[in-house]
Amino acid sequence: MSRRKRMIEELDQDIRDHIAIETQDNIERGMTPEEARHAALRKFGNIAKVKDETHEVWSVMWLERLFQDVGFGVRTLSKNPGYAIVAILTLALGIGANTAMFSVVRGVLLAPLPFHQPERLVIIGESRPNLNLKEMDVSYPDFQDWQRDAHSFEQMATLTWSSYDLTGSGTPQHIDGMQVSAGFFATLDVPMVLGRDFSRSEDQPQGAQNVIISNRLWKDRFRATPQVLGQYLKLDGADYTIIGVLPPGFRFLTEADVYTPLAVSNPKLCGDRTILGIVSIARLKPGISIAQAQSELSTVQAQLDNLYPAADRNLGIHIDSLKHDFVGDTAGMLFMLLGAVIMVLLIACANVANLLFARAAAREREFAVRSALGASRMRVVRQLLTESVLLALTGGLIGLGIAKLALVVVLGGIRDSLPRGENVGLDWTVLLFAFGVSLAVGVLFGLAPAMKSTSKTVFGSLKAGGRGSTRAHLRSQGIFVIVQMGLTLVLLTGCSLLLRTVRELRNVNPGFEAKNVVTFKVGLSPSMSRTEIDVQVAFQQLVDRIRQLPGVEAVDVAVALSLPMSERDHSGSFWVGAQKPASMQDAPHALLFWTGPDYLRIMRIPLLRGRFFTPADTLKSERVIAIDDDLAHTYFPGKNPVGQTINVAWQNFGPARIIGVVGHVKNWGLNDPGTDNPSQIYISVYQLKNLVVPDLAKYLTIVVRTPLDTAAVMPAIKNVVYGAAEDQTVYRVRTMQEVVSATMSSQRLAMVLLAAFAGLALLVASIGFYGVISYSVTQRVQEIGVRVALGAKPRDVLQLVLGQGLRLAIAGLIVGAVVVFLLGRSLPSFSQLLYGVKATDLATLLIASGVLLGVAIVACYIPARRALKIDPIVALRYD
Amino acid sequence: MFSPRVSTKDKERIELLQGTLDLLILQTLKPGPAHGHAIAKTIEFNSADVLQVEQGSLYPALHRLIRHGWISSEEGTSENNRRAKFYRLTTKGRRQLTIETSKWNKLAEAIARILRPAEQEG
Repeated sequence: MSRRKRMIEELDQDIRDHIAIETQDNIERGMTPEEARHAALRKFGNIAKVKDETHEVWSVMWLERLFQDVGFGVRTLSKNPGYAIVAILTLALGIGANTAMFSVVRGVLLAPLPFHQPERLVIIGESRPNLNLKEMDVSYPDFQDWQRDAHSFEQMATLTWSSYDLTGSGTPQHIDGMQVSAGFFATLDVPMVLGRDFSRSEDQPQGAQNVIISNRLWKDRFRATPQVLGQYLKLDGADYTIIGVLPPGFRFLTEADVYTPLAVSNPKLCGDRTILGIVSIARLKPGISIAQAQSELSTVQAQLDNLYPAADRNLGIHIDSLKHDFVGDTAGMLFMLLGAVIMVLLIACANVANLLFARAAAREREFAVRSALGASRMRVVRQLLTESVLLALTGGLIGLGIAKLALVVVLGGIRDSLPRGENVGLDWTVLLFAFGVSLAVGVLFGLAPAMKSTSKTVFGSLKAGGRGSTRAHLRSQGIFVIVQMGLTLVLLTGCSLLLRTVRELRNVNPGFEAKNVVTFKVGLSPSMSRTEIDVQVAFQQLVDRIRQLPGVEAVDVAVALSLPMSERDHSGSFWVGAQKPASMQDAPHALLFWTGPDYLRIMRIPLLRGRFFTPADTLKSERVIAIDDDLAHTYFPGKNPVGQTINVAWQNFGPARIIGVVGHVKNWGLNDPGTDNPSQIYISVYQLKNLVVPDLAKYLTIVVRTPLDTAAVMPAIKNVVYGAAEDQTVYRVRTMQEVVSATMSSQRLAMVLLAAFAGLALLVASIGFYGVISYSVTQRVQEIGVRVALGAKPRDVLQLVLGQGLRLAIAGLIVGAVVVFLLGRSLPSFSQLLYGVKATDLATLLIASGVLLGVAIVACYIPARRALKIDPIVALRYD
Repeated sequence: MFSPRVSTKDKERIELLQGTLDLLILQTLKPGPAHGHAIAKTIEFNSADVLQVEQGSLYPALHRLIRHGWISSEEGTSENNRRAKFYRLTTKGRRQLTIETSKWNKLAEAIARILRPAEQEG
């Protein structure tokens, strides 16, 4: 017999006995047995209910009590809707901001890459330890040797990005593509939804022109028909046979619509060990760590270094997890922002805890009576906790809505500056996070007031007419206010530092004038010849025609990589004088810019000495180059470099005469410190030949200086391009200002978010500050009344209230300033974002403190005014 | 319990008063063990019938006290030789009784003071 069953029987027996005794008593008092039994039953009450209640005592009662507590909590809270609404909204803002920020961190940093066993995927770069260069692209022949000799990897693959003009049926379209080695999709373990992957034999120079297409292109262009296999796709005028279709949503860093075999599309690149032009990825064998793979592949590479000293001397290996490579430096910044938003939550929590304190104080007598009447302390604490958790969960629910809104409104505009930004959204992990945070907030910040207001001393509150522990409450509230003020100061300072950074960056002279410059690429007609000369001529003609357009001040062609801040760059070795260095790997490097003659005028880069290119500098004339003043100072100190000779090793460009010295440009962004690779060399586009690029047209961009708006000038330009040939595309239209401001995107993202967080913090903290001062005035009505009665002037009363507020505010500012200094020294992910201002900048700190102090004074002043109006007669009667 | 009918809507008040019934039971068991009916009778008798215990409500209270470990139950025979369950105060219960009694006195004092503020403060 189960324990419970036995207990039920015993209780039944007990009740039967009870009634029997009572009946017997009644009979002895002279009732008939029937009357006696009825009277006994009546006196006993509802037997079923008694049994139920007793069973409840046995059963686990917490759930039951929880419902009771929740019900009571809802009733209590709805009696004070103002209080409940303020608390819920404050928490909703805090939890909402945290949920939004967490969903960003989750999507970008925590979520695994969408491939099978992504932790085994790595990216392999070559490095030059002697030049402190890591994570460089690799050469195809090296990759092939690794593939043959290394054993740490299950599979390896290479890729490079490309783009094509898609012509044929429909309007010509410029689409992004990737050139991949056979085994690329197998390495990532991505199955085709239709057709097949490339085979090894296909991925050879002279191999068949086959293409795998994206799911999107399949749907848009082929209406998702299975008959797409075997059809042709006209890319840059050539027919490619479609052999496979990728699953929807597949992307490798960027979205691409066509994938072609690397060796077929780019044979020149594949045959040259000196060109580090491809990206290499691999899947580690199970159980092999990155370090093991790194050490094995380094041994392999060391042999290659010996075997091919001309190309590979001093080349090392750098292996990184694919995810880390995708995410880059964002991790530090995102965690910093997550830290900031947690501060906002703490500030919100401090507010709610203060509200709970104030309310707990008001309800002290209720608690005292309850506990005196036998409710255990835990019971009252649990009741209070239920209320605070109720508040927090409701706040969390609204917070989810706020997070959703925040992701759309705030992140919508800056999502593109985040790697894996497409991955950010609300999913079940985010929901779980929001729920967990709400629960934790409810418990943690309900617990302190609950414990405090039910502590043993509350019996004093009955005696003291209810104001016994007011002082203790004020002390706790004071601590919360100080913490709030401190955290708000930290956020305000951080936000101001970034504001200053962005302003400083705007004032930086990048060495060129970005304003009024627009750049775009042109896809030449597929019917045109692709020889370098023909492409150069075609572009020259386009440039000449665009120059005639009204509003165009200057126009020329340049290699896209040459545009400053284009995120990509090209550097090459060079040497000065006749003596060639023993190894090119040890020769100095310079950034190479290939431009047309008008480029300086368009970019307004100053010409310091000599001349720049003219249309007369062609393949038929002497090779000439221009250098920047940095190179001039470093390699021709105190001399005039014009007329000297420099050898550019890249592509055997050979010896060239320096014709001019131009200003240095900041190539990597406005915050480019200029310490890496500072030298810059300009080569005329019209003196390039025998390039490794398969199609020069793709590498060229047209640069236009015009005071007109892009939208106004582009139609005319497009007309010129289409006028030359209807099947030409105009794509990647960007203003230089967009390019420049993209280099500040990290700072702007951090600034926008920190500004939002700081604003939120300021709002919440000032409400909290106001609430506490206001509460303390209410508590001190009698005291103030007595003072006024004893002759205190309004000034004194004002001083009393403002003094109390200012003491708290200043204590908070001091705490905040200390935190600012500590964080400023220990948070590289933040200080790296800054430019032109230090994380511990005193002026910024003072300004932020001033703002905060001003807000605090306003928040104090309102309750102080109320204190002034206190009538001593009324106040002394006040209870 | 004390008032004959307590509407279930006022659960909170039941809860408040439960504590007091507990106190009364503990006090009743102080001299020695007793069965349920005897406890009810004693409370009624000792309060000069002011407190009318709805006898059934005794049982949830008794079992709650058992759960707390303040009383224990045992088989026995009643005064008229009937078999009955007897409840006995434990050492822990004895200690609890002292605490509850002193709490109750403080409360009563305090409430009295609140109800008679004019007399108190002059």
